[in-house]
Amino acid sequence: MRYEVTLDDRRIRVELGEDARFTLEDRVVAADVCETVRGYQWSITVDGESHEITVVTHDPLRLDVDGHDVRASVIDERALRARRGTGAARAERVEIRVPMPGLLKRLHVKEGDMVERDAPIATLEAMKMENELVAPIRGRVTKLKHVSGTKIEGGAVLAVLVPE
Amino acid sequence: MYSDVDRDALHVRTADAAYPIGAAAPRESYLNAARIIEVARRSGADAIHPGYGFLSENADFAQAVVDAGLVFVGPPAKVQRLLGEKTAARRLAREADVPVAEGTEPLTDVGAAKIAANRIGYPVLLKPAAGGGGKGMRTVKAEAELESAWGAATGEATTAFGQAALYLERAIPHARHVEMQIIADRGGNVVWLGERDCSVQRRHQKLIEETPGPSVDEALRERLGAAAVRIANGAGYENAGTVEFLVDGSGKFYFLEVNTRLQVEHPITEMVTGLDLVALQLRIAAGEPLPFAQTDVVRAGAAIECRITAEDPYASFLPASGVVAFMREPAGPGVRVDSAMYPGMTVPNEYDPLLAKVIAHGHDRMEAIARMRRALEEMRVAGIPTSLPFHRFALFDSDFNAGRYDTGFVARWSQRVAPDISEGAASAAALAAVLATRARGERRALATSDPPWARAAREDALR
Repeated sequence: MRYEVTLDDRRIRVELGEDARFTLEDRVVAADVCETVRGYQWSITVDGESHEITVVTHDPLRLDVDGHDVRASVIDERALRARRGTGAARAERVEIRVPMPGLLKRLHVKEGDMVERDAPIATLEAMKMENELVAPIRGRVTKLKHVSGTKIEGGAVLAVLVPE
Repeated sequence: MYSDVDRDALHVRTADAAYPIGAAAPRESYLNAARIIEVARRSGADAIHPGYGFLSENADFAQAVVDAGLVFVGPPAKVQRLLGEKTAARRLAREADVPVAEGTEPLTDVGAAKIAANRIGYPVLLKPAAGGGGKGMRTVKAEAELESAWGAATGEATTAFGQAALYLERAIPHARHVEMQIIADRGGNVVWLGERDCSVQRRHQKLIEETPGPSVDEALRERLGAAAVRIANGAGYENAGTVEFLVDGSGKFYFLEVNTRLQVEHPITEMVTGLDLVALQLRIAAGEPLPFAQTDVVRAGAAIECRITAEDPYASFLPASGVVAFMREPAGPGVRVDSAMYPGMTVPNEYDPLLAKVIAHGHDRMEAIARMRRALEEMRVAGIPTSLPFHRFALFDSDFNAGRYDTGFVARWSQRVAPDISEGAASAAALAAVLATRARGERRALATSDPPWARAAREDALR
């Protein structure tokens, strides 16, 4: 299976063979892989150098690489093909999710509004604090799924933005 | 003592005795004075240490503890009441010949706030009259923002302190937040132990603290110490406390408030003075005199604290909840970790997101920074986002390293660049990213419909 991995602004093609051989950017890599915490941490030596990679969170994928913080993503070849085809338009939508359960105190936008990047979308009260949810991109609010005054579960989609 | 959601918290598991005090909502448990006092009596305790959250600055609670025949470890209720009313504390500071920033008495409505803000001049700060710690505080840059800030701040002040009253103060731009630790016995002996620079803040919540303050020279330190002692004497202070100041670019300082409790960041003062502040608090509460005088206090080296919180710095520091899947805490010479974390811990979303404090001590600031960098690079937390990426960024930031920072420092985080990792590390990371994604996909597929025995067998086969 082939994958496209992004590490911050770096992009690396990875191929994982049946015989546990790795190909990086079409180069076969001699890697010794040891899973040190199941599903969360790997010790990997590449060309004799040892590296410790910890998965901080899976979704979004954030890695701790030898004590450095890296934002990553992994797309497999099927998803890559789908993206090149019909999936492209759908992938353009950006969902704003509520990061933790809380009370939706105020909505600062209506459906149809244009918002700038970092503009406040809503105020959420959680952990005794009021927190602003901001627009990750410049775009149009195409959907608002909750009204102010309601309790929202962590991870729920609050709004959908379409970049313009 | 613990609330229902803290049943498996570290403090419960490590304590000699632990008592439930009610449901998760603070009002039902950690703010429930009657229940806490009842449990204290039942347990045979003769004193209550209020910690640094919840009821630690609540004068009514301090009084109720004494009325129940127990000792309150902290300043007496009347001192707390005097200093807890922030505008009264400002008056006291003025009388003690300590400068304060221009400000108002408690205001009743937004109209009065508008008039006062126009007189003082923007930017201004809206602050709750009943409490500190950054909750319910708002910076207002222009009149157009005042009304919404007033609404939000009164809401937060009511939630945090049970009182909506706010007052207004002139904002000091590019100020540093410098606080002075004091300790006083019942006989009126007050000693200052040194300052802490707590300028690295986000929404008035501290993220990094250090001592000595990079902007504080010996002369300023003496003046801040003397000012703190004058305020303590004026208030009849007793036990540990912190006098907070703002210091502007020219070294002029302004009194902010007195925190009538132990501070979260007290360990850095302990590291440089070699004193155990909690032990001193207990001795003083037991009626013992201070075992040293001002001239006996020696500060050695420098110390830094990073507050590791369950907050996501990549999502404007929003609090996160979840399960700590794995963690590794740093250790070694000059490194101290005060932590509530353990693998498998569910981070509750009911309380403050503080998870652990990493403290580094060195012979000088550069050694403390080097040790903190090493500690942060050694630390791992998996399963939930934490503030660790911000702290790593800060400790390598050129301005932080030069000691050139103020309360606007956190804005630099938005200009960060991706870490410079080697080719080999990037290769390893790319492999791990693929392996992690695949493993997760497999576990998800397994988790769906199979009976547990079949799932276990198949997971074994995949291992």
